[in-house]
Formats: sequence, C-alpha cells, structure tokens
Amino acid sequence: MRTETLDRSRGGMWPWLGQRVTAVVILVTIMVHLVLTHFVAIGQLSYANIGERLAVTAVLVNDILLLLAVVYHALNGVRMVVLDYGFKGSGARHGLAAFLWIVGVVAVVYGIWALWVWVS
Amino acid sequence: MHAPPGRRSICEGVLEVSAQERETANVGAGLWRGIGMWAWILFRISGLVLAAYLFVHIWVISQGRVSGASTLNSFFSTFDKPFLVFLDSVLVAAVLYHALNGVRILLMDLGVGITRHKAVFWICMLIAAAAVWGFAYKAIPFIF
Repeated sequence: MRTETLDRSRGGMWPWLGQRVTAVVILVTIMVHLVLTHFVAIGQLSYANIGERLAVTAVLVNDILLLLAVVYHALNGVRMVVLDYGFKGSGARHGLAAFLWIVGVVAVVYGIWALWVWVS
Repeated sequence: MHAPPGRRSICEGVLEVSAQERETANVGAGLWRGIGMWAWILFRISGLVLAAYLFVHIWVISQGRVSGASTLNSFFSTFDKPFLVFLDSVLVAAVLYHALNGVRILLMDLGVGITRHKAVFWICMLIAAAAVWGFAYKAIPFIF
C-alpha cells in the first residue's frame, strides 16, 4: 500500500506534521478562547470587555498562539482539499502554496495589528 | 464486515486500497462506505466552514482598530439576535466535531486504538456531544 499522506502530490511530509502540531496547539488554545467568551464573560461581548480580557498577558499570548496556529491549519486544510481535486503539477502546487503563505502571513500580521489596539 | 473476494481487510471495516486504485479513483477508493465516509465528509465541510468563519472573525474584530470602539460595539448589538446566537452555537458544534474527530485522526496516526477504531470514534463523538450540550446550555437563555 502506498503511503498517501507522505506523497508530495498529496501534500508532503512537513505540512502533514505541521497540520498535526497546530491541531494540538489549537485544541488547547481554542478551548481557553471559547470558555472565556462563552462561559466566563457570556453576554458581555463589547469593545471594553475584549480589552479587559486581553489585558491579562496569558490571554493575549493564548489568542496570538491561536491566531498563528489556526491560520496555518485553516489554509493548509484548504490546500489539502484543493490538492484532492487539482493543482497536481509541481508548478501549480508550489504556486498554490506560495499564494496561501502570502494570505496567511498577511492575515496573521493584520490580526495582531488589530489586537494591538487593546494592548497599547 | 468481511472483505469482498480479492480484497484484503486491514482491520474491521477498513479495506486496503492499492496504489493503482489510488491513481484511478479520485479520493479514498474503498473508503466510501459506512460511518467513516460520513465522518470524513462532515470533517471536510466543518473544516471549510470554520476556515471561512476565521477570516470573517478576523475582519469583524479588526474593526475595533480600523473603525473604533463604537463601530465594533454596533456590530456586536447587530449580532445580538436569537437566530445569530443559535448560529454561534452551531459554530461551536462545528468546532467541537472537527476537534474531536481530529483527536480520533491523531490517535489513528499514532496507532492508538486502530483495532477498536469504531469505539474510539463513538467515544470521541460522545465527548463532543457533551461539550456541545454544555455550550448550548449557556446559550439557550439568549436564544429563547
């Protein structure tokens, strides 16, 4: 049996590992994120409430870690879906990866820039 | 379930897929049967929905810096409707399904519980369902 996940045209080894490492990071950080918003501060969502939460360094670190991991995980996931149906040639595959890396870096930088209004 | 003639079963409910089958069939030939197929389809759909939501979420929260506190707060009061709170609970359910099915995939990758993969799947789904109930319980007063 050929090993599907390690076949380059089906994603490659490092993205496979990256998807699993980010999955574990997200598992922890998203639960903190959801419990804080849906249990601790339920019904209080506002600009001021977000500020109170992000004033706690641990929460800020949690949310930035979540942002980094989830943007990678989401875009690599989209890449895996696309590779199941097309973009199988080497050039198309690398072009897709490069495009998604640009989208991801912009999303992370923009996200942290936006959060910083509550930090500064 | 027994493997049909000429096919080898890797373990209960999982048929071996040859390299040739992988080349000719598009995705997961031989896997298109039973619970595993639905788990895969739901995993993919929830993943794509969550990926789309992620970028909407980043954009909405960024309005705090782009347009200021009052704009962000007006967004939040727009979202403060029973149906949208219900949709938020559906989103939480999508996160928890994707998370717990992901845990199952991680366990299978590590070789933990492969021979009892159906039991592992249902235990994961039970944990997901319990967690969804916990979140839904908190959301119900805002829906009704």
